[in-house]
Amino acid sequence: MQTNFKFLYAFVAVLAIGFSSCDSDDPQPGPVTPAGESRFIIASTPLASDGVADYLLTAESLTEGTVSTLGNGVEQDGTYRYYVTHKNKFFSMLYGQGNPGAVTTYELNTEGALEKLSDFQSETVQAFGAMNDDIVMAKISRNSADPVSSWYRLDADQLQIVADGKWDQKEIAGNGEQAFFTWVTQVGDKLFAPYFSMKACCNDSFGTSYPDSAWIAVFDYPSMELNKVIKDDRTSFIGRYFLSGLEVDEQGDTYAFSSSVATSNGAMTSTLPSAFTRIKKGELEFDQSYYFNVEELADDYYITAKTYAGNGKFILTMNKEKGAYTTGNRFGVADVYNKTFTWVTGAPSESEIVSVTINNYSERNGLAYIGITTETGSWVYEFNANTATAKEGLKVDGGRITAISKLEVAE
Amino acid sequence: MQYNKILSIVFLCSFFAFRAFAQQNTNLNGLVADQSGKSVPGVLIKISPVSKGLVTDADGKFSINLPSNRNYTLDFSFMGFEDLSKNISLGTETHTMSITLADDTNDLEEFTVLGKSELKEIRERAFNVEVVDARKLHHTNLDLGHALDRVSGVRVRESGGVGSRMNFSLNGFSGKQVKFFIDGIPMDDFGTSFQLNNIPINLAERIEVYKGVVPIGLGADALGGAVNIVTKNVQKNYVDVSYSYGSFNTHRTVINTAYVGKSGFTVQLNAFQNYSDNNYWIDVDVADIETGKYYPDQRVRRFHDTYHNETVIAQLGVQGKPYADKLLIGLTAGKNYSEVQTGARLVTVFGDWHRKGTILMPTFKYQKRNLFVSGLDVNVNANYNFGSEQNIDTVNRRYNWFQQYKEYDVPGGERSYTLYKFNNNNAVFTANAHYNFGRVHTIAVSNVFNSFNRIGSDALNPDNDRYEEPRRSQKNITGLSYQLNWEEEASISAFTKIYNQTNYFTMSYNPSGEYGDVAYRNERENFTYPGFGITGSYFVTGNIQVKASFERSYRLPEPEELFGDMVNLQGNLDLQPETSYNYNAGVSIYKQLNSDHRLDVSANGFYRDAKDFIRPRLNNNQTMQVMDNLYSVTNIGVEGEVRWTYRDLLSAGANITYQNLRNNTEFEEGQTIPSIVYRDRVPNMPYLFGNGDFSVMLKDLLGKGNDLNFGYNLLYVHAFYLYWPSLGSEKFDVPEQLSHDVNVTYTTGDKGRLQLIAECRNILDSKLYDNFSLQKPGRSFSGKIRYFIY
Repeated sequence: MQTNFKFLYAFVAVLAIGFSSCDSDDPQPGPVTPAGESRFIIASTPLASDGVADYLLTAESLTEGTVSTLGNGVEQDGTYRYYVTHKNKFFSMLYGQGNPGAVTTYELNTEGALEKLSDFQSETVQAFGAMNDDIVMAKISRNSADPVSSWYRLDADQLQIVADGKWDQKEIAGNGEQAFFTWVTQVGDKLFAPYFSMKACCNDSFGTSYPDSAWIAVFDYPSMELNKVIKDDRTSFIGRYFLSGLEVDEQGDTYAFSSSVATSNGAMTSTLPSAFTRIKKGELEFDQSYYFNVEELADDYYITAKTYAGNGKFILTMNKEKGAYTTGNRFGVADVYNKTFTWVTGAPSESEIVSVTINNYSERNGLAYIGITTETGSWVYEFNANTATAKEGLKVDGGRITAISKLEVAE
Repeated sequence: MQYNKILSIVFLCSFFAFRAFAQQNTNLNGLVADQSGKSVPGVLIKISPVSKGLVTDADGKFSINLPSNRNYTLDFSFMGFEDLSKNISLGTETHTMSITLADDTNDLEEFTVLGKSELKEIRERAFNVEVVDARKLHHTNLDLGHALDRVSGVRVRESGGVGSRMNFSLNGFSGKQVKFFIDGIPMDDFGTSFQLNNIPINLAERIEVYKGVVPIGLGADALGGAVNIVTKNVQKNYVDVSYSYGSFNTHRTVINTAYVGKSGFTVQLNAFQNYSDNNYWIDVDVADIETGKYYPDQRVRRFHDTYHNETVIAQLGVQGKPYADKLLIGLTAGKNYSEVQTGARLVTVFGDWHRKGTILMPTFKYQKRNLFVSGLDVNVNANYNFGSEQNIDTVNRRYNWFQQYKEYDVPGGERSYTLYKFNNNNAVFTANAHYNFGRVHTIAVSNVFNSFNRIGSDALNPDNDRYEEPRRSQKNITGLSYQLNWEEEASISAFTKIYNQTNYFTMSYNPSGEYGDVAYRNERENFTYPGFGITGSYFVTGNIQVKASFERSYRLPEPEELFGDMVNLQGNLDLQPETSYNYNAGVSIYKQLNSDHRLDVSANGFYRDAKDFIRPRLNNNQTMQVMDNLYSVTNIGVEGEVRWTYRDLLSAGANITYQNLRNNTEFEEGQTIPSIVYRDRVPNMPYLFGNGDFSVMLKDLLGKGNDLNFGYNLLYVHAFYLYWPSLGSEKFDVPEQLSHDVNVTYTTGDKGRLQLIAECRNILDSKLYDNFSLQKPGRSFSGKIRYFIY
């Protein structure tokens, strides 16, 4: 239980869609130099066992200095929250509590401080993603007695829900089990929802009898109707619980990773390696000509999470021992164009790492900013995808980094 | 650890120092009779300043040995007679008194014999115990929870109106860390139908609140204190009926009655009922049902918060037999219905989800003093609860505060689609015996055995049942104590407790890997822990008493924490007990200023060093909460109480508690640097609070036997932060609470048999919050009529 607890900590690090600007004209890496008109937003959770809330901090640089939650930061109502930045607004949303609640939205004022916009009511959900002007949210069933999920379209300008509806997870899976979306991602004009199959019953809710297939439910937009389910038997499911496994590159192609961590009755049952697959731009099928076995090149480590640094290069968080909710403690660079893999140097060693932030920041210029907590504190590390190196940056006093994002001063 | 050892040794040494003061004693004898010269047995005699008590024997006689060459005040009281106070000067020669008590035509409250219980109260003062005289609150509409809220060191937080969830905290411990008892029987297993939030104060005669060290007679695994609710010790026929009606369509009825035949045959019946719509006004941001947009600061009524419960307690047996002072068998039967209006925050609103619970509990009580040999007293109790609990969430709607809803035509619930119903099959058996010998020595043993065996099912998901059994837990706690009691000077008691817990459960697994195939592996776990403590009291002068205690205590994981509740809580079979070192020291001063004025002052300090607090966290896939041993705290605090009385006319009192509850977890798991909140004040816990009260009794106001009583009560809670105080600059807090309650009671009729009461709570209509955003009722009125015959 203690071990799982550590993983949970890392897991509680909530995710956000870095709907980063796609101006990848300049693939040359260069340091991020925020102008006076922008701030990095860092969400931090204290390392404490009770009475815990997240704090939103602002910083001018991710590569130097220190920020602290001591007497500083905007307190969030609890820690069961996730963060999305979309349309230059920072959304502090709810997950995992079962009940709906208040979502708060912030923008950056001219003093470089977070200023609260109006609150609105939202469900607590398990998957969400930016889609055009909306944020799509999905509250996904995990109970065979009630296999129906809800989706909501939140208008990021009006700050209110503009449409909602239902999906039947059992019908989507079509194999007697239920589909549980790991995440939702905009791909062209469609919404892709990769999922794992789950029993949703019988004291093994998150177990499955189908550990060696990947599926993506493709939804039309804005109708949110199921277009088709695409399947690939070369990998296990894409992404992980509450973690995105898809990335659309600068060419519009979609790359998907699988951790290969399906379980049944608590045992790991996936037999396929952790690997990348691809869906070419405009197509609604896996590209059978593309397969990139990362596990083979990475000394049998598997992918637990990714941050896309641009130009086909991913900073991967990796782990040796498999687990459905494990977060990694070693970093590698995968070039999905050239199918090469390189271990990163300069990051803390595996044994030093306590947790790694999953909701990280990159401008797709070869640099990625990832939060790492070691036994002596938390830092933002700057990862260079071209040189496969990492270096210590901003120190965050007071806890674990749960999200790194950026806002421009609102007009 | 070392620190604790040293402290405990200091405690031990200081106790044994008390015996250094030797004194000479003189006998005081007497006889109490009524106006016709007939002797009166059972008269309670309080002797101040030594704060001793005794009762007259069957012939109306009493005898006591007191320090010589001192002045004493003896207060005589007995139901049906006027109180009498006598001052004597005791020399070195045996003193004999003859007392005549006058008939009281207007004795309202004391219609049962109280001598024994009050005597017990005094004897137990070696413990840090506060005793609430519930009879003084019988004219109010309070339930036990709200009555306890007036005790220093106690804070009861509630989530709404009548029947709402209550979170009790005592000197910084809360939830299941504090144990509740009724007449010494643990209440943990009674279910929702018989709890603090629905038991009327009229059921209790007094409430004992033990802070820190708990006597082994209450042999349970309390971490930092216990509350024992003592019901009437019936020795006479009586009927006491009351009904009240008040704001929010609140109806309450209480019937207490008993028949005691000449042969000792006893029938006792208690029945009570609460009903409330709880539709009080709140101020809330109302979300648009379609868009989620908020309409800020709307004033709306709660609309789905009806609560009602009905409970009957019947007991039948004999009293005063050679083989038993009391032998009663009984049945407690009841049910409750509770609608769920909100989640943890006011913005989360429900319109159909509700809960039901039942209690069906046969009971057995046996008491015998001087069994076989003089000085051996035995107490045995047994209960078995067949009651059930059910969660009903089958309407797939989403409501807002304007009572609008969206309905979906697929199966689902508002929170979690469920009809889960379970029965915990709780059995409790308690036995204790004490043997008193050689005047000062008492040896006591006690044993409490609890058994839990959950059987549950969900009609919506019947296939799941076979994966979920068995879930059984047994808990046994044995205590042994040795007490030395030099009656008028000092008392010291040392004790040890053995905590034992055995859990049986089945792990399901898939033997073949085929879908739906399931097999079971039976598991059994057994844990034993030792606890110990020492407590003592000493009279420095006749009216100044000091007391101190030390204890190492455990709180074992509850079955629900081990096995989950199948709705929101996932089980954790790896839970360890919570432990605490508890230290208390206090001083009390009882001062009769002159014949009219009396002043009682007490102050207590306490220190708690507690580890492995069991707290909820989210499970791995964030679907449920799971309890875990998370952190350690220390708490150092003080509480004080002062009461002034002027004859029977005026009474005023106040108490205040300050506690400094600090996080004592220096290194969080995986960290070599101190936690940023190490030694920070534990959030979301009131730390400064108090009560004030004032009452005026106007006797014979409208002719003889017609009394008017005016009472006022003030509650104060300092504001506190919801999350760690040192972190963040824009923060959430629970604001200061200040609430004023008043009541007027008019008593009339032959021998004071009819009472009419009007009560107003929260008279200034303040906005009160115990939990962040969960607003409590505003101003409310109620009227009550009470009639009794004895």
